[in-house]
Amino acid sequence: MSSPHDYAPHDYAMTVDHLEVEFDTYGGTVHAVRDVSFGLRRGKTLAIVGESGCGKSVTVQALMGLIPMPPGRITRGSAKLGDTELIGLRERTLNRIRGNRIGMIFQDPMTSLNPTMRIGDQIVETLRVHRGMSIREGFKEAERLLDRVRISEAQERARQYPFEFSGGMLQRVMIAVALACSPEVLIADEPTTALDVTIQAQILDLMQALQREEGMSIILITHDLGVVARMADDVAVMYAGQIVETGSVEAIFHRGGHPYTLGLRRATPSNAPGRAQQLEPIAGSPPDLFHPPAGCGYFARCPHAMRICERRMPEPFELTEVSGRADEIRHRARCWLQHAQAPRTEGVNQNDAGREVS
Amino acid sequence: MWRYTVRRLIQGVITVWFIATATFAAMHMVPGDPLGSERATTESIRQNLEARYGLDKPVFPDQYLIFLGNMARGDFGISFTQQNRSVNDIIREAFPVSAQLGVLAVIFAALGGVLLGALTALNRNRLPDVIIMFLVILGISIPSFVFAALGQLAVVRLNDWTGQSLLPVAGWGTFQHMLLPALVLGLGTMAFLTRLMRSSMLEVVNTDYVRTARAKGVPPLRVFWRHQLRNAVLPVITVLGPAIAAITTGGFVVELVFAIPGLGRTFVEAVQQLDYTLIMGTTVFYGAFLVLMVILVDIIYGWVDPRVRLG
Ligand SMILES: Nc1ncnc2c1ncn2[C@@H]1O[C@H](COP(=O)(O)OP(=O)(O)OP(=O)(O)O)[C@@H](O)[C@H]1O
Ligand code: SF4
Ligand SMILES: [Mg+2]
Repeated sequence: MSSPHDYAPHDYAMTVDHLEVEFDTYGGTVHAVRDVSFGLRRGKTLAIVGESGCGKSVTVQALMGLIPMPPGRITRGSAKLGDTELIGLRERTLNRIRGNRIGMIFQDPMTSLNPTMRIGDQIVETLRVHRGMSIREGFKEAERLLDRVRISEAQERARQYPFEFSGGMLQRVMIAVALACSPEVLIADEPTTALDVTIQAQILDLMQALQREEGMSIILITHDLGVVARMADDVAVMYAGQIVETGSVEAIFHRGGHPYTLGLRRATPSNAPGRAQQLEPIAGSPPDLFHPPAGCGYFARCPHAMRICERRMPEPFELTEVSGRADEIRHRARCWLQHAQAPRTEGVNQNDAGREVS
Repeated sequence: MWRYTVRRLIQGVITVWFIATATFAAMHMVPGDPLGSERATTESIRQNLEARYGLDKPVFPDQYLIFLGNMARGDFGISFTQQNRSVNDIIREAFPVSAQLGVLAVIFAALGGVLLGALTALNRNRLPDVIIMFLVILGISIPSFVFAALGQLAVVRLNDWTGQSLLPVAGWGTFQHMLLPALVLGLGTMAFLTRLMRSSMLEVVNTDYVRTARAKGVPPLRVFWRHQLRNAVLPVITVLGPAIAAITTGGFVVELVFAIPGLGRTFVEAVQQLDYTLIMGTTVFYGAFLVLMVILVDIIYGWVDPRVRLG
């Protein structure tokens, strides 16, 4: 929703611009990702949130070259890791980046590791491919990595197979695999969704600790706002294949400027003190991605919808920030309510509110 | 793994005992006296047999126990129709022939099935897939003697056309003699394994761990060998036991058609001539062999799949 020159003054590990992904299916073409742009600040965690099917996984899979083609297709856009363009790279070039400069972990650790390979061998594989290590060297390093993800008796564990591990342990192994080559970026696609609550917390703590130690940047996909609050510096809210709001975690949680962000917030249980409010699921369902609407995707469900909303999708509006902190990313929302002439709306953080006062 | 192996071996022994008993019972239920005058060819053979099998004693338990004892010692007795030849000798001579043919056929079937199955799966719904899967249906539904005849015809034509005898049409002796019958013998199983491998490969190509391998930057060829093929081949190994059985029994027909002096042909001839000891001997031998093969395949499976080996 912005072009590269907007990214200053921050130092970005990765930037994505105007990304579009489609899938050919029997029912027609699914427009899964529509004009998505965001920046991942170096050393920070960016959370991508949104309900199921809104295109979170497809977005990051596009960055990793993991979209199955066919039926998938990246029709537009760019994604840069530092100065390296990722979209449209040849498989061979891409394979020097995946697992090396970008690591990735997935939702279900139980099925994400090869059942017939020893844990150690699966870590060694990354080291061999990217670092050309011998098996013996690699195994030593694998043991050290298992140690780093707090798996005890690493020497013995490296010689075991995935079925001998629990889900939480396997996610630690996945993290070890992803971090084997000290990547600049770690992409975690719902890394705790399949795990027990107590284990979830352990995995998140581990990711945080490793981020402090290694300084990598993290893209964290989740639909759990509790996880966002705990982990994220920046947040991108996705709806129906588009990013509808971006901002710092405080801005998104407390000064949300898009009705969907507010709806998402009200639909999520909160254990913050004094916030014992009633849960309100968002009524209705997202639009058909075979024929995405010309206007705002949230139109049919939005309590504040106006006539223009149905006709045109707004470009992002920049919200005037009250915090005024220079190290915060800009707060932007794609909503007509941010237009200077929009009616004042209860509960929505609006631009004109600040403007009129000043 | 050791306990597992021992348990399987004990089960195997029980199975073989069951086969032996059934064979014994069947032989004694066939109408007519096995040693009736037309059958036992000479007086000396007859006397020999009577003494050996206690034929003057009651069938059960005496004859049965003698029979079991002999089988347990691996003594299959003397042929009814081939003078002065023990069944053991006959098996010892004929089995290696069948074994060579069978091994080659199993190699054809397994390698062909795995490679063709993987190829079709990776080219799903494209031309190679469509063509191979059409041939697979032919391979599964056409009986092997038809292939044998067609194969022989093709070889004759080929030899005529080139003016040289590239491949022998029948007989036994050299490696060239083995090629055509082994191919014919393995064809049906190869078709079956191709179909199995294809569906198993299709399940594996888009698994999460294959995606993980790609996300690690593993090159495509290595993804194929280490992650896809190895896991896709597991179901194929589980049916290798029955596949070996199918090829072994298929050998009966193929050995006859190609005039190969193997155990299959020996068995068919023994049945035609009602050579009781030879029938019983080869039946029990076949039974024991197949049981052993199935156990061996299970052990190999355990070696490939750690969940079985260690679980
Ligand atoms: N291989 C595919 N073929 C066709 N459509 C696909 C494919 N992969 C994804 N899609 C479509 O793309 C859209 C976005 O899917 P995606 O997996 O990114 O959702 P998500 O936001 O990750 O949801 P979840 O929270 O359930 O993981 C969905 O409508 C889905 O149907
Ligand atoms: S643009 Fe209109 S319909 Fe869309 S969220 Fe804003 S007010 Fe609602
Ligand atoms: Mg997803």
